[in-house]
Amino acid sequence: MSTYVYGITAATHPSLPEGTGGVGDPPREVRVLKEGALAAVVSDAPEGLRPKRRELLAHQNVLSGIGEEGCVLPMRFGSVAPDDKAVAGVLAERAEHYAERLGALEGRVEYNIKATHVEEAVLHHVMAENPEIRALAESNRQAGGGSYESKIQLGELVAAAVKGKEAEDATVLERALEKEADAVSVGPESTGWLANVSFLVKRESAERFLTAVEQARGRLPHLDVRVNGPLPPYSFVEPGPAEPAGTAAGGTDAGAG
Amino acid sequence: MTVVPAQQTGGGGGTSGLYDVLELVLDRGLVIDAFVRVSLVGIEILKIDVRVVVASVDTYLRFAEACNRLDLEAGPRKDPGLPDLVGEMTESGARGKSKGALSGAAETISDAFKQARDEGGSEREREPASRPRARKAAPSRRKEEQE
Repeated sequence: MSTYVYGITAATHPSLPEGTGGVGDPPREVRVLKEGALAAVVSDAPEGLRPKRRELLAHQNVLSGIGEEGCVLPMRFGSVAPDDKAVAGVLAERAEHYAERLGALEGRVEYNIKATHVEEAVLHHVMAENPEIRALAESNRQAGGGSYESKIQLGELVAAAVKGKEAEDATVLERALEKEADAVSVGPESTGWLANVSFLVKRESAERFLTAVEQARGRLPHLDVRVNGPLPPYSFVEPGPAEPAGTAAGGTDAGAG
Repeated sequence: MTVVPAQQTGGGGGTSGLYDVLELVLDRGLVIDAFVRVSLVGIEILKIDVRVVVASVDTYLRFAEACNRLDLEAGPRKDPGLPDLVGEMTESGARGKSKGALSGAAETISDAFKQARDEGGSEREREPASRPRARKAAPSRRKEEQE
C-alpha cells in the first residue's frame, strides 16, 4: 500500500492530526510517522487519486489543521511514497534540511494575495490618461459603435494600456505589502490576475499585514484585491525559487530564522 | 457532494478564495524527488502563460464594446469606499449584459481546466477550476458553465 504524504513537521508538534479524514472516498485516515525529531503526516494513498476539488480540499484541510498549532512544511498536492518505510527513510536522510526549514518558518504563515482590475474602473483610468484612446472611443460611439476595424484598433490600444496598468498596479501593490512581510514569493503569471503574490508573515504581524492590505485597497479602488490566509507556507518551503528539494544550501530567504 | 467548508480568508474573500487557495495546493509546496506525484493530467496548464489569448481579436472587440458602454460622467473613482462585491453588483445591475474582458480572461483558465478535465477522463465530478469563481458569476458566464 503506497503512502500519501501531506506534510512534514516536528515530532514535538502539539496537535498532530491522527485519525482525521484525509484524501480519498471514503477519506483515508490520517496517520503520523515519526522519525527522529521529525514527523510526516500521511495516510494510505487511495487508488486512482485524481486532482479533484474534494481531494485538494482534503489535502489543504489536513495541513491547515496542523498549521494552526505549529509549523508544517506542506507537500505539494499528490505526493505519494511507495510505503511508510520510504517516507521514514527520506525524513532520516534529509533530517537536517527539514529541521532547518521548520526552524526558519516557525511562527510564520503565508498570505496569498491575488488582484484583478475592476474593469470599468480601470477603463476609466485608461481613458483619462490617454487622449488618443479617448478620442477614438468617442468617435466610435458617435458612429454607433464604429466599424469593425476601428473597434479592433480601439480594443488593441485599450488592451495594451490595460496591460501596462496591470504591471504598474502589481508593483504598487507588492511594494505596499512587502514591508510587513519576511519574504515574498511571486506566483506564476497568468491572465487570471494581475498580481499573484505570497507573503511570509509572522503570526504576530498578521494584523499589521492585513491593515496594510486594507490601506492598499483604499488607495487602489480600481483593484479587486483578494487575501487568503493564514495558510501553511506553501510558497516558502524551499529557500530559493524553484530549487529542487533536498539540494538547497539555504540562505536566500529574507529575514527568516 | 460538494460541501464547501468555509475557508479562512482575511477579509473580502468569500468563496472565490477557495479557487485561489487550490491553485497554491496544486502548484506550490514541497516536492520530494523520491516520491511520485499522482497524475495531474492537464492541470498544470495553469502554468502556461495565457497572455497570448488576451491579444486576440475577441478581446479587442470586447474592450471596444466596454469602452462604448462606459459612462464617462461617472469618473474613475465612482465607488472607492464600497467593498468590491457591492460595487460589482451595482455595476452588473446597471449593465447586466456587459461581459467584462477582464473576467473573460480569467475564464480562459477555467476553460483550459475544463478542457483538461474532459481530456483526462469523463468523470462527472466537478474539479476545482471548472467551478466558476462565484465573485464574477454573471448570467452570461453561468450559461457557459452549465454546458
